[in-house]
Amino acid sequence: MNVWKKMAAFAMAGLMSVSLFAGCGKTENNKITVVSREEGSGTRGAFIELMGVETDAGDQTTKDAEIANSTSLVQNTVSGNKNAIGYLSLGAYDSKLVKAVSVDGVAPTVENIKKGSYAVSRPFLICYKEENLTELGKDFVSFILSQDGQKIVEEKGYISSVDNAEAYTASGLTGKLSLDGSTSVGPLMEVLAEKYREVNPDVVIDIQQTGSGSGITAAIEGSCEIGMSSRNLKDEEIAKGLTHTAIALDGIAVVVHKDNGVDNLTQEQIQKIYTGEVTAWNELG
Amino acid sequence: MAKFRETAMRYVFLLSAVLCIACVAVICMYLLGSGIPTMFEIGLDNFFGTTWQPGNGNYGIFPFIVGSIYVTAGAILIGVPIGALCAVYLAWFCPKRLYKVLNPAVRLMAGIPSIIYGFFGLTVLVPMIQSMTGTSGKGLLTASLLLGIMILPTIIGTAEPALRAVPRPYYDGALALGATHERSVFSVVVPAAGSGLMSGVILGIGRAIGETMAVIMIAGNQTRMPGGLLDGLRTMTSNIVLEMGYSTGLHRQALVATGVVLFVFILLINLLFSLAKKKEGTE
Repeated sequence: MNVWKKMAAFAMAGLMSVSLFAGCGKTENNKITVVSREEGSGTRGAFIELMGVETDAGDQTTKDAEIANSTSLVQNTVSGNKNAIGYLSLGAYDSKLVKAVSVDGVAPTVENIKKGSYAVSRPFLICYKEENLTELGKDFVSFILSQDGQKIVEEKGYISSVDNAEAYTASGLTGKLSLDGSTSVGPLMEVLAEKYREVNPDVVIDIQQTGSGSGITAAIEGSCEIGMSSRNLKDEEIAKGLTHTAIALDGIAVVVHKDNGVDNLTQEQIQKIYTGEVTAWNELG
Repeated sequence: MAKFRETAMRYVFLLSAVLCIACVAVICMYLLGSGIPTMFEIGLDNFFGTTWQPGNGNYGIFPFIVGSIYVTAGAILIGVPIGALCAVYLAWFCPKRLYKVLNPAVRLMAGIPSIIYGFFGLTVLVPMIQSMTGTSGKGLLTASLLLGIMILPTIIGTAEPALRAVPRPYYDGALALGATHERSVFSVVVPAAGSGLMSGVILGIGRAIGETMAVIMIAGNQTRMPGGLLDGLRTMTSNIVLEMGYSTGLHRQALVATGVVLFVFILLINLLFSLAKKKEGTE
């Protein structure tokens, strides 16, 4: 009997502590919780470049930023925190969880990204020197830009960069093709290469993922046939004789909690939030 | 024939033992061999500095060391009293029927993957702390709470057998001297099981400092120095996992070097562990 009494007392104590927790008043607070991706992430790299968070002195992301190491963790964190702001690839954006805000008044939609009016988007490029491109290289490029290739692009959650693409017919070419470059484009390129080899089985495609910059350099120097880049080419790179083509577009959605009243942010505001200059929602004005 | 089998098996056992040691040795060699030169390449000032910005050449891991220590200390503060008292209860106070439920429950806790604990933290603890404090809910307090829960099975699992291993005459003797049940347990049995309890605590520390997945999800992972109970922080393990995927060159080397520091901490903990045992043995 004594034991049961004791247990009942424990249970009561437990219940009381729980109700204490629940009863605690909610503190009104509008300090922004900045959520960023980890250093080195392609999405972070593109975001800080496009939003001006990266200056000549390097990445200026505020040290107070929470770091989430995956797209889904960004989404979960923001969906559970009224004051949070984060960014993620538009392909992964789930409107049931979070709200994507317009940037400079432009909503992050596929049409706006295609038009080029949505600021936070980046192209996935391939670049090559015309004179270095073999028959096989040309055929692979035409596959990527064909209806079949662009369908894969959209299946992988990116935005097709080609309107009214034509169907691809297998060429039956043989040989070896080498690509080098961006780690963001790489996974997509692997899938494209796999599908290409399904129709042209005698082709060997070698894809190295070393980063946009080194891929572009490799294409200029001719150590690979086609370079991959997840940023626009610089003028001096184009001047060295590179031809470039967008194979896909990737938008980055800036997301806030669904109950957040903010629907639009300017690039400047986003920059100030991510550099830590603005730390509260009401400071945005 | 029998003799041959005898010798053959002996070598099999020897091989197994050697393999274990070889694993540790290889890990040691790899870590130290690639980590220590990196530390000097980065510069000790930089490496133990307070700014971590690999993109800008700053590789200061001091905030993460502090983060790891804070989180572990918090977990111990929460986990040890609960765990130790739970073990005492299980060993000396628990009715048999209840024990049949509690014991498997504790064992089950040990078997839950850490990512599940992380999810629990993210979906239950984080919103709770958030509504109580008005901060983002991710930080030292949340991480300590969750780790405190996570190390419970480790502590209970070591402490309970230690308490049970105390010879019955100790307890009977105390009773015979007129002490109550509670008094006998707490003043005689618990001190006698001291080294076992200590082992549990040290194993708990090891578990807490090495935990990664759950901590990543609820600690916030900021690279700055942790400033308070509600501040976000990043531990050494989190830092390695967060950035390993993308890092190249010196950045990657710096992560390996972070691993070296973590490894040194684990070594120190183990050293403490054996010292504690040794002392206990001589007394």
